[in-house]
Amino acid sequence: MNPSAVIYLLTAAAVFGIGLYGLLQSRQILRQLLSINLMGGGIFLLLITLGGGADGRPDPVPQAMVLTGIVIAVSATAFALALLLRWHELSGSTELDADAIADAIADAVADAHDD
Amino acid sequence: MTTEALVGLIFLPLLGACATVLPGRLATRAGVLAGLLPLPWLLVVVTLAVVQDPALFVELGGFAAPLGIRLFADPLAVLMLWMVAIIGGLAAVHAWFDFPPDSPAGQSFWPLWLLLTSAMNALFLSADLFNLYVCLELVTLTAIPLIALAGSKTSVRAAMRYLLLALLASLLYLLGIALLYNATGTLDLYLIRTALTAAPPAAVVTALALISLGLLLKGAVFPLHVWLPQAHASAPGPVSAVLSALVVKTAIYLLYRLWLWSVPAGTLAAEHALMLMALLGAGALLYGGVLALLQERLKLVIAYSTVAQLGYLLLILPMAATAAWPVAWQGGLYQLLSHGLAKAAMFLAAANILHALGSDRLSHLRRLDQRQPLSLFTLAVAGVSLMGLPPSGGFLAKWLLLEAAWRSGQWWLLAVLIAGSLLAAAYIFRILAASLGRDDPTEAQPVAASRSIPVIQDAAALLLALLALGTGFAAAPILQFIEAGAPAAWSTP
Amino acid sequence: MIGLAIDSVLALGIVWLALQTVRSVSMLQAVLMFIVFGLLMSLAWARLHAPDLALAEAAIGAGITGALLLVTWRRLQADGHDPVDSELPAQSKWLTIPTACAAALLIVIVGWIALQLPAVPGTAGDLAWQRLGEIGVSNPVTGVLLGFRAYDTLMEMAVLLAAWLGARAVATTYRPGALPGPVHVEVPLVGALLSLVVPISILVAVYLLQAGGSAPGGAFQGGAVLAAGGVLLFLTGRLEAAPRTSGLERVGLILGIAVFSLMGLMVMATGGHMLALPGAWAIYLVETALLLSIALSLVLLFAAAPGLRRMS
Repeated sequence: MNPSAVIYLLTAAAVFGIGLYGLLQSRQILRQLLSINLMGGGIFLLLITLGGGADGRPDPVPQAMVLTGIVIAVSATAFALALLLRWHELSGSTELDADAIADAIADAVADAHDD
Repeated sequence: MTTEALVGLIFLPLLGACATVLPGRLATRAGVLAGLLPLPWLLVVVTLAVVQDPALFVELGGFAAPLGIRLFADPLAVLMLWMVAIIGGLAAVHAWFDFPPDSPAGQSFWPLWLLLTSAMNALFLSADLFNLYVCLELVTLTAIPLIALAGSKTSVRAAMRYLLLALLASLLYLLGIALLYNATGTLDLYLIRTALTAAPPAAVVTALALISLGLLLKGAVFPLHVWLPQAHASAPGPVSAVLSALVVKTAIYLLYRLWLWSVPAGTLAAEHALMLMALLGAGALLYGGVLALLQERLKLVIAYSTVAQLGYLLLILPMAATAAWPVAWQGGLYQLLSHGLAKAAMFLAAANILHALGSDRLSHLRRLDQRQPLSLFTLAVAGVSLMGLPPSGGFLAKWLLLEAAWRSGQWWLLAVLIAGSLLAAAYIFRILAASLGRDDPTEAQPVAASRSIPVIQDAAALLLALLALGTGFAAAPILQFIEAGAPAAWSTP
Repeated sequence: MIGLAIDSVLALGIVWLALQTVRSVSMLQAVLMFIVFGLLMSLAWARLHAPDLALAEAAIGAGITGALLLVTWRRLQADGHDPVDSELPAQSKWLTIPTACAAALLIVIVGWIALQLPAVPGTAGDLAWQRLGEIGVSNPVTGVLLGFRAYDTLMEMAVLLAAWLGARAVATTYRPGALPGPVHVEVPLVGALLSLVVPISILVAVYLLQAGGSAPGGAFQGGAVLAAGGVLLFLTGRLEAAPRTSGLERVGLILGIAVFSLMGLMVMATGGHMLALPGAWAIYLVETALLLSIALSLVLLFAAAPGLRRMS
């Protein structure tokens, strides 16, 4: 394996790990989505680096997979952002957990009044 | 003929979804009907073909694997496809009234519903690991907006949490696939088996661990189930039914495919992995059962019951290495089938109750036998199957599982199975007791049934419950069919 | 030697930007860091002999995704207060360290495993090179996307459609006020710039589409470039959000899936294999339909609106 490939492999692993860290330690949905996109980038980099043929004929299958993956990532991100806007509109919050318990109680009370 | 039928199962709902997007009222109705009605007929063709040949392959584009993508149909896939057609179909009948195709709600609902149907059919037929990733994403990105269609704050929160975890799960799966492709050079689920024996074990074990973790998260397997109860309970009724009966099972289905078809038997410490997953299943069964018993709302009881019932599907895994495997496999798949039917029936009945009474709190269900007798009957019939009383399909499933556990000498499994059934009985009886309760004269009277339910919505729920019961009667041909496609048992040590 | 130096700098830059994306206190800064991260990734693809990806990453990964993130950030700010920036680090400290350790462990395992993967002979990719002639294009990536694994591409279009349907379904309320303010003031240069940039984006899209058969490019890159032109028209107020999806837009959104599926079904009905596209002309036809659907879906997702119309 040539030195450049080693560098990119380590980069790929690092980017994936950083994304995972960001996803788990942040509460801001927007930041979590950024982190998910970072993780995806790390995986894509891994696929392409491993699929780089030594004879100048890179493996086209991982390249096609990554292209598909990029389009899926932008689709998922776009929908997630729309859902985030909806959540923000309903709750005034850009996080999920801030007041889950209080909301559950409020829901229950509202529900009891419905009857 | 068979090839056309298999292709039709994926492409009819897909093109139906396209039609529902087109302008014009007729287009929506035509898309829904053309996308869903032919599915059972196509399945008859496929089923007859699979009875003849229990391992059907179709090469898309005419390119053989590993270069191209193959469709694969065997008894397990056909069973799942039938569940999509019947449960999805009856849930669609139910949804027709809440989301009329002409209404704005229907305009949002039906394209997503048809895409979800197409995605699940595609997933159950795909033989390619990366194509399965695309299918998984399509299932996720159609199921989650359907949850959010309920519109409540709770449902949007549940949808958002589900989405974030589902995306994480997909990425873990994708990373595993990336490693597997580079270790073996193939993405075909059924070719990879031989290639895996030659690949470096460390890479394969890591890849399998990542893929399994992703699938356990998507399948809401305890303790990764945290997203499920709120998501399933807050979705619109027909969506809850399909989520619990089908969507979570896509992940369990892939776990089966991965561990029982792709991993070479008895290698790579697989028996430890299977035992670990069975322990998670046992945890799910007990934890989900207890939590279901503690809920105050009907839909949450049913949702936690899903967490519990998924446990059965993992409990069978370690028996792959024992002589009792064929029985365990039959029991597992029968559980898959009967739980799907019963759970969909319960969610539809719960939706009817919620619609009629304006609440699904257990304490508000008093006099349900007078106010919503059909819904109560549906809950009771489905409940019989869920807790495993004869003569239901659930009884047969649990009986087979007990027999397998007995024969393979896995005594702890016996105890877990019995405890699971007792817990199910407890939470079902709690629902029934609440429904048969009489008004306390000292309390304010609850408002009587405010809205009536279209009789077809009641009928759809009841039919599913009766099917769950009926699978207990018409068992022999189904069991025979399932057995023909059982993955080979591992050679007993 | 110079190549290795470039790769090292690029790699360090990528890791640093990823860290900044996760660690910046300001959310705006995090988003900007992510966009630059995408641009550097695009350079990395070029270095790794993946020019198709370099184009796609620049146009979609950094471009459209970045624009989506920025506009969402802007919309979250629209109600006056700054909910996004105010509270980092929000997570309690005791979770940070185990999380970091778990992530680091995963980095080590994945890196270690990946480094010792041997080259496997006879991969799907080797077969793709051998049989590329059967597809009728000379760019192997296009060959895989529209030939050997055309089914993936079709399902991916369904994912894009689902994203738009989902976004439309959750955005129940149509509030023009919540959208980013278009440039109402007529800056003299904007019109001239647009009359240059938009035709260029169309030209580039068409070029990428036809080049994709033999050179880097294709429907996805072209679609993203065309979408960028549409985004510009939207941002400068030439297009505005409409409360309904027009008939033409509806047709455009499903065009890619419909043409692709129907072509595949037609081939099957005439005795061929499902999705085996009969020659290069069919590939270009399908790709044109895909390009239009991709561009339209991305612009509508960016506008977060059911439809678009000319600014009245």
